[in-house]
Amino acid sequence: MNKKFWMSCLTVVMMVSLLAACGGKDNQTADNTPAAGGEGEKKEEKVTFTYFNAAAGKDKNTNETTIGKIFEDQTGVNFKMEHLVGDENTKVGTFIASNDYPDVIVPGNSIDKLVGAGAFIPLNDLIDKYGPNIKRVYEPYYNLMKAEDGNIYFLPLSAVVGEYTSAPNIEQGAFWIQRRVLKEAGYPKIKTFDEYLGLIRDYVKKHPEEGLTGYLALTTQDKFFALTNAPMHLAGYPNDGGIIIDMETHVANDYADDDITKRYLQELNKLNTEGLFDKSSFVDNYDQYLAKLTSGKVLGFFDYRWQVGQSMNNLRETANASGNDDLEYMALPIVYDENIKDQYLDPPSFVNNRGVGISVSAKDPERIVKYFNNLLTDENQVLSNWGIKDETYSVDENGRFYRTEEQITQTNTEAFRESFGFKYFEYNWPRYGNGSTLPDGNSVGAGRQPEVAKMSYSEPDKKLLEAYDIDSFSQLFAAPDDRPWYPAWSIPIDQGSPAQIFTQKKSDLQRKYFPKLVLANPAEFDRIWNEYVGEFSKLDVKGYEDLITEEVAKKIANAQGQ
Amino acid sequence: MDKANPIGPAETKALREMPAESKGFFNKQRKNDTGLNTRPPSGEKSFFQKLLQQKALVFMSIPFLLWLFIFKYLPLWGWTIAFQDFKPAKKIFDQEWVGLKHFTFLFQDEHFLRVMRNTLAMSFINLVLGFVTAIVLAILLNELRNLMFKRVVQTISYLPHFISWVVAASIISTALSSDGGIINELLLWLGLIKEPILWLGEGEYFWGILGVSEVWKNVGWNTIIYLAAMTMIDPSQYEAAEIDGAGRFQRIWNITLPGLKPVFIILLIMNIGNLLESGFEPQYLLGNGMNVDYSENLDIFVLKYGIQMGNFSLSIAAGMFKTVVSFILLFTANHIAKRLGEERLF
Amino acid sequence: MAKTSDSPRAHARFKSPADRIFDTLNIVFMICLMVVTLYPFLNTLAVSFNNATDSVKGGIYLWPRDFTWENYKYVFNEATIFQATFISVLRTVIGTITSVFCCAMVAYTISRPEYVLRKFVSIAFILTMYFSGGLIPNFLLIRELGMLGTFSVYIIPGLIGVFNVIVIRSFIEGLPEGILESARIDGAGEFTTFMRIVLPLCVPVLATVSLFTAVSQWNSWFDVFLYNSSYTELSTLQYELMKILQNSNSSMNSGNDYASQFASSESGANQVTPTSIRATMTIVASVPIILVYPFLQKYFVQGMTLGGVKG
Repeated sequence: MNKKFWMSCLTVVMMVSLLAACGGKDNQTADNTPAAGGEGEKKEEKVTFTYFNAAAGKDKNTNETTIGKIFEDQTGVNFKMEHLVGDENTKVGTFIASNDYPDVIVPGNSIDKLVGAGAFIPLNDLIDKYGPNIKRVYEPYYNLMKAEDGNIYFLPLSAVVGEYTSAPNIEQGAFWIQRRVLKEAGYPKIKTFDEYLGLIRDYVKKHPEEGLTGYLALTTQDKFFALTNAPMHLAGYPNDGGIIIDMETHVANDYADDDITKRYLQELNKLNTEGLFDKSSFVDNYDQYLAKLTSGKVLGFFDYRWQVGQSMNNLRETANASGNDDLEYMALPIVYDENIKDQYLDPPSFVNNRGVGISVSAKDPERIVKYFNNLLTDENQVLSNWGIKDETYSVDENGRFYRTEEQITQTNTEAFRESFGFKYFEYNWPRYGNGSTLPDGNSVGAGRQPEVAKMSYSEPDKKLLEAYDIDSFSQLFAAPDDRPWYPAWSIPIDQGSPAQIFTQKKSDLQRKYFPKLVLANPAEFDRIWNEYVGEFSKLDVKGYEDLITEEVAKKIANAQGQ
Repeated sequence: MDKANPIGPAETKALREMPAESKGFFNKQRKNDTGLNTRPPSGEKSFFQKLLQQKALVFMSIPFLLWLFIFKYLPLWGWTIAFQDFKPAKKIFDQEWVGLKHFTFLFQDEHFLRVMRNTLAMSFINLVLGFVTAIVLAILLNELRNLMFKRVVQTISYLPHFISWVVAASIISTALSSDGGIINELLLWLGLIKEPILWLGEGEYFWGILGVSEVWKNVGWNTIIYLAAMTMIDPSQYEAAEIDGAGRFQRIWNITLPGLKPVFIILLIMNIGNLLESGFEPQYLLGNGMNVDYSENLDIFVLKYGIQMGNFSLSIAAGMFKTVVSFILLFTANHIAKRLGEERLF
Repeated sequence: MAKTSDSPRAHARFKSPADRIFDTLNIVFMICLMVVTLYPFLNTLAVSFNNATDSVKGGIYLWPRDFTWENYKYVFNEATIFQATFISVLRTVIGTITSVFCCAMVAYTISRPEYVLRKFVSIAFILTMYFSGGLIPNFLLIRELGMLGTFSVYIIPGLIGVFNVIVIRSFIEGLPEGILESARIDGAGEFTTFMRIVLPLCVPVLATVSLFTAVSQWNSWFDVFLYNSSYTELSTLQYELMKILQNSNSSMNSGNDYASQFASSESGANQVTPTSIRATMTIVASVPIILVYPFLQKYFVQGMTLGGVKG
């Protein structure tokens, strides 16, 4: 019996070790790829580095894309790109705990952890030696980029080069209204929230039999800010992330308990009493919300364009098929009062808590810096954003870049964007920030080139623009004021710090009270509001506001080079 | 729990009716369990003698004990993290020690009691509903005469188990929707309600909705183990019962149910140990501001303040708390089972 | 063989009117149950075959409104999917066989009433169900053992499922004592008894446990994420599908992270949406494993042979 037992034990052990051995081999081959590249010092020799992006995407080698291949021909460098699938903190936690990093990392909100862990190498000297273009692009922002020890650990993704161009279409927040409402009212130019709600009320009154919803809100899970941000915009401030920075004193104010919030909720409460507000707003999930917008029954809502893209696409397809754009939406710069200047369009924004860093594990940072440097020429930025002339974009006799209809369709296809490399190189590398302009006046980003925007307008779009006497949809909006601290949400807040816990507690409180306030009997509104304010004032608002005020002051000082 | 009591006396009855030889395994346990405790006076020596005698069994255990130590017990050094402000970059001894800070944060949160209430309530509802429905379904399946039909039902009933909670929650939200959701339509049609109910907007309904959803998603899957257990019941018992003129219900009561009891008790004890694990996906996906007072449980709290903030220390502290509670529940449940003379875990 | 012996009470039974009513009600109940449990699957199937942009409207129930293969094309567009499926099958097969065998062995040892370490081993295993050292220590352990980037992380760390051990143990304990005794009288050692007597008798429970293990092996992606995410050749189907899903999510933008909002605000329209991709991947990932069950079902009735052994 013993013999048999031992034989079987042996088999198990062998099986296990075999498995381990098999795996071991895999391990080696896989490990070799980056290592082989790192060692070879000859400039001409091709190398492969590893690149980790804490955003989702398809893993690829850069040289498998059209753009990446060109860059490889120029520099001999290829990157094996890996994208995040699960939770970022966990993944980055394992990097740090094992002190074993990919060569290049583009983190999300874990960036402070990586910097704190000493995962990135300082780039100052390398840039001075090998990165003249990097210096040209980023030098104006050096003060904002430097860590407390004076070193630069990563290159942000939003350094604006040249003149700043606003987007021709509304990409961010706005109050949206169904076009048939505007049509019926004779395309009025409206500005205030009262006027906006007035249009909606009138329309519903005139069409009582259609089962219309006057106003809808998005509140599900991590999209709750679509509800809490609205008052900030109505009060004439851009999206600083749930906080208002005074233009004169630069003092931060959390408006969660202010009159502007109360007023917004009270208006929604009134709508609810009149039966114009969809109560399900507070229980619907994202899919249900999108479905309602797509149904054509909803007359108005506040949201950011990128959150409702799926619905907009659907409505656009339907409109294209029928030639009737009644159910499509138009963005309006709505504010509380006549004398408030709207600030929906983003000012030039330098996001200094995101970027690309080179890790301490990188064996040849010099070549990586050279690669980065090579990305930052005008030609290569055109390549990353516009592609190849006469293939993915065209140039008219005045030297203006544009895209033909086919080119637009092609460059909007996900598969093409991946194979060509737009998807990778448009954003997650050292780059000219959004709104940058080339010396010849063309926009660096194709999306901000008015010619491209115009090409994508449908016939009804054009009529609508004509009715409002504008060339592009963003012309209805006021130009953004200069805010050197913008965006305040890029102020680094340590994970797990009191400030972060405050924002979580605040959000918990709002999630609980806002539905109550909106759905309350109007007579009860003030009582519930006072209860909410009472609860809110128990939180450390002051500490949070002071922190932001202080950081904003620092940012302003840095921006002014002090 | 309710369910367990009536089985008690029934089982003894079944035992009486059973053929003598199969009685063995119900009693065997009780007799032999004392193997470790009733050492002869010679004590230690005798233990090692026994060990030597049973070396075949010992050799069969050792590789796995080794595995257990390496993969389960060794990583427990990680519990020290709960007493630190853990920064992954630092070595374990360079961490900042903060004592019970994270535990205090957890226990002193004003919502802690509510969170615990929700956790326990949802777990308890799921436990009771889960056991009752799975056993009832298993028995009903077993009573189906058409084999083909039985297999088809079985296969289809476990399909929802393979749908992720994200998809399932979306189907549930749609069904509960106040504009055109099937539940509201049905109730309106039956005249039970006058206007649609905002199901997910009323906190009091949340536990019920969750319980029913869990049953819907997992009942088929949960029956599998009972169906397997039924195959171990000696068919001759049924034949004997039939000859004695026992009706269908009596056979279920006296033979099938007692046959499922050992597995049931074992699963029950294990699940009681898991009472603090009420899951977080369905609560997260179906939860909203209006039902937060009922939907927020411990795991969601940890998700918000630990995982999403990258605060490893808080997550581990909460994990330790859960472990302690689990151990207490587990040993208590096991002890009670022992007292009642039932099957037990260890 | 199963067909005749499966339902021992099916033959020669007197059917009372109450029996008939019960049977009818039972069948009606089962049909209702099937409707309720089949629905989510059919709904998912319908969404996966429906045009993604059209699905945004909602209102898809049992049948696609605007039929398309696009979602499946999008998912199968990646060549890596096939390699990943192979790895998934491999880990499911190897992982299930090794794990169930090892669980059964542990279960056998702790089912032996005379075994002196019985209680110690049982408790040592059972306690581990209720604690974990946490992610980071586990990761470091795997790294120290040199298992990062190897196939073995799919097999070894999860080699023994305590739940499964307990379930198997309770079945072994349910075996008639006489059988094991007679084996011992014949001079069989522990291991032979285990291999020759216990394993064959435990087929129904082993089938059950295999199903549990196979499903969790097939569905798991977290170990790939944690240990093997940069080793594409070891990626699994679930992980690749997760990637595709999150990719479609990010092109549509989840909006959690303000900075990424800028990233996609300049990019254009999509042909797929997270919802349709999720439906498609649910189908792609679950159909193969669901098909395993009907094959295992026949083993659930093998316990019937027990009576024969006993007699």
